[in-house]
Amino acid sequence: MLKIENLVTKFGSVVALDGVSMTAHESKITTVIGANGAGKSTLLRTISGLEHPAQGAITWQGESIVGRRPEDIVRLGIAHVPEGHAVISELSVEENISMGSLFRRRKFKSDIAKAMDEMYQLFPRLQERRKQLAGTLSGGERQMLAISRALVSRPQLLLLDEPSLGLAPLVVEQIIDSVNTLCRTTGLTVLLVEQNANTALGVADHGVLLALGKVVADRPAAELKADENLRAAYLGY
Amino acid sequence: MSNLKAHSIARKSLIRTFLFTVVMLILGSRFDAYNQAQLALVLILFIGVLSVTILTGISGQLSLGQGALMAVGGYSTALMMINYKLSLWIAIPLSIISAGIAGLLLGVAAARLSGPYLAGTTLVIALAIPTLANRFMSVFKGDEGLPVDVGYPPAWFSNTFGEPSYEKWQIYVALPFAAIALFFASNILLSRSGRMWRAIRDNELAASLNGVNYSRQKIYVFIVSATFAGLSGALYGLRGLVGPSVYPVSLSLTLLTAAVLGGIRSISGAFIGTVIVVYLPDWIEKALGNFSLSEQVSNFLPALISSLLLILVVVINPAGVAGTRLHKHK
Amino acid sequence: MNTFLAALFSGTSRGAIFALVALGLVIVWRGAGIVNFAQMGQAMFSTYIASTLITNGNSYWVGFFVALFAGAAMGALLDILVMRPLSNKKKTELLSSDSMRAAVPVIASLGILGALQALAGILWAAEERGFPAPAKQEGFTFGSNVMPFTAFDLFVISLVALTLVITTLFFKKTGIGLAMRATALNQEVAKLSGIRTNRTRTLSWAISGAASSLAGLLITPTSNLSPNTLDLVLIVGFTAAVVGGLDSPAGAVLGGFILGMVISFVTFYDTPEDVFLSILAVLLLVLLIRPRGILGSKDVRRV
Ligand SMILES: Nc1ncnc2c1ncn2[C@@H]1O[C@H](COP(=O)(O)OP(=O)(O)OP(=O)(O)O)[C@@H](O)[C@H]1O
Ligand SMILES: [Mg+2]
Repeated sequence: MLKIENLVTKFGSVVALDGVSMTAHESKITTVIGANGAGKSTLLRTISGLEHPAQGAITWQGESIVGRRPEDIVRLGIAHVPEGHAVISELSVEENISMGSLFRRRKFKSDIAKAMDEMYQLFPRLQERRKQLAGTLSGGERQMLAISRALVSRPQLLLLDEPSLGLAPLVVEQIIDSVNTLCRTTGLTVLLVEQNANTALGVADHGVLLALGKVVADRPAAELKADENLRAAYLGY
Repeated sequence: MSNLKAHSIARKSLIRTFLFTVVMLILGSRFDAYNQAQLALVLILFIGVLSVTILTGISGQLSLGQGALMAVGGYSTALMMINYKLSLWIAIPLSIISAGIAGLLLGVAAARLSGPYLAGTTLVIALAIPTLANRFMSVFKGDEGLPVDVGYPPAWFSNTFGEPSYEKWQIYVALPFAAIALFFASNILLSRSGRMWRAIRDNELAASLNGVNYSRQKIYVFIVSATFAGLSGALYGLRGLVGPSVYPVSLSLTLLTAAVLGGIRSISGAFIGTVIVVYLPDWIEKALGNFSLSEQVSNFLPALISSLLLILVVVINPAGVAGTRLHKHK
Repeated sequence: MNTFLAALFSGTSRGAIFALVALGLVIVWRGAGIVNFAQMGQAMFSTYIASTLITNGNSYWVGFFVALFAGAAMGALLDILVMRPLSNKKKTELLSSDSMRAAVPVIASLGILGALQALAGILWAAEERGFPAPAKQEGFTFGSNVMPFTAFDLFVISLVALTLVITTLFFKKTGIGLAMRATALNQEVAKLSGIRTNRTRTLSWAISGAASSLAGLLITPTSNLSPNTLDLVLIVGFTAAVVGGLDSPAGAVLGGFILGMVISFVTFYDTPEDVFLSILAVLLLVLLIRPRGILGSKDVRRV
């Protein structure tokens, strides 16, 4: 379980997160929705250690992770897929995936090949393109690659930042489906950031609505999806 | 409105320059011969360090070729004085122009470069230019160089003020030029171009959006900085010899060290840094006078200490001595 | 004909060394975004260490390997003590702009260069001294002809070729190599993948330090050793790296050989005095025509 209390993150004078409290429950999909600039990405980046909070607590499985470095936080089982199909274009597909498992190569050597295979099973299109440079992939394939890079570290918590960005609905559905299946079959905990509220709330168990760095709603996903007033007020549709 | 502003800037710079001149004259008359020569050296290098302050401190471009520009100033002056028997008071201003032209060429090349590319390229230039002395032996006289010095004061001067010693005359030659350099540097720092150049340093993109023609301004900075370096180099050569060994690459590094140690963004920093660099060997000798050091050690100790100081200042407090003061006052 | 062959051979063996120097610069540039002007200062210093060991009766190879190790250690220390603190210090007034962030590490590396040269002067005096070669420096004889190619040249070329092969394999085939490439290309993604980027960056400095020390060991038998002898080598290496493309290891090697040939042919057919000017001409030409270098990629983003 990931528990966030009163989290404040600033960029100079810009307060991106202004006292956020929320929880991501074990083996559930929690989605964070909100308009552009609401602070969704900043929330994930603060959890994974890329940004340092000015205040507040982040507790993961009973342990505080504030102030740790990103490379240590991955080792605690939190994998982050940042916004914008973050893969390294100059490396091959295979190298991008195996990069995510490098830190496990001492302790879990025998598991690495297996984990890589699982990624190729999850996204067979990547297997066909194993030797290709990541820069030559399509947007959807890149997003699959970015997710594989994160999953190959066998995380317990997956932070997923706008996987739908710039992708066709069909591809989005495929990706979200894969994540959903993983969550249901392996017990992975997912924190999914989306602007596309309908898609996200459709698969999520729980929804958190963020506006200007503050939580304005924190409810079961179905309930949030049905609340037309909230939607009109904060998402504009 | 802007006229009035320019007026008050000029007045401020004038006051600074006046105070500076008076203090230097007083120090010059109090010092013994050795320290007079040192003071003259401070004045000369101060001008060179100002060229770094303007180029790197204000506009953010790092050049390691200032020594080569000094050589341009030095050779121009020496050639004019030797071949055309010009007085140094005419030769030096003319050689400033030639240094400015060299700065223009350098600036045109540099406008396309930034960061380490610029630093490396100017370093190659600093190494390549002095080899021209051997390439065109008949003009530049190779490694032997061209002997020149400040000579003796004109008769009217000695008649009015009494015959100055050679060291004192060195100060009297360097001081007017240093004062003029200070006046211009101070004006530039406070003026519109100074602000524009700072804008370039702080944010190229924003500066170009605000209608500052980025490459052209970069070239202007190089020209201005080159005139300072050329002036400094001309006076530096008049200490006795203009030759490749007088303007080694390490001279560029000395200027940079002085500028950084004192505080690369301010004129007072440039002066403080110059004093540190010139007097460091003396201070070390005084501090370690009781230990009898071998020549080997005492030759290299000042360089070692100033390099270590440079690293320390950069790592611990990249604003330099004057920068620290500025911070505290704010 | 003989002059041509001599120039060709000398260009090859010098070019091999310049390739090493350029490779050292490229590795740190890719890994840390810094051009290390102290690089040949480190090489000079470790070559002095080797020289001292050898004159005190140790074998050439003891000196050789200790120097490589010293070069690596100096590189790592330089990163840990100077460059890393500097990069963590983003908020000071002086470092507030991009241009100064690029300039300040260069200034620091120049300070290190100065310090190493002064220290070498204090420890070992400034006089030039020779440095031994592990192989004969007389030309091979072919019948009654002395070829312009020595056993030492052969040694240099094979050692450099070996080094290039090993580093290529290391970067392409090992996990650490992958981690280093990832760090150089995209720090954020590397960190999120669990790569300890601080360490991999320090490793880049160490490898670069060892490579340039090797260059120092290989060039001093023909150029002698003094605190300043390797300054020229740095300039040539820098030019080679820029010619090939600062972010391309293969480009560094290519650039090294190009510069080796240029310098060698200028020396043999013109006069050694024009070497500096020819280096400058090559550099300016490349910067004007192809600022990213021959093999430099157009839009590889460093982070
Ligand atoms: N590195 C940064 N420097 C300065 N301000 C930043 C930085 N990153 C984010 N911000 C600011 O913080 C606020 C929140 O940004 P964030 O990226 O978290 O929004 P978001 O909800 O992810 O938006 P989007 O849906 O567009 O991705 C914005 O006002 C943004 O401008
Ligand atoms: Mg976002």
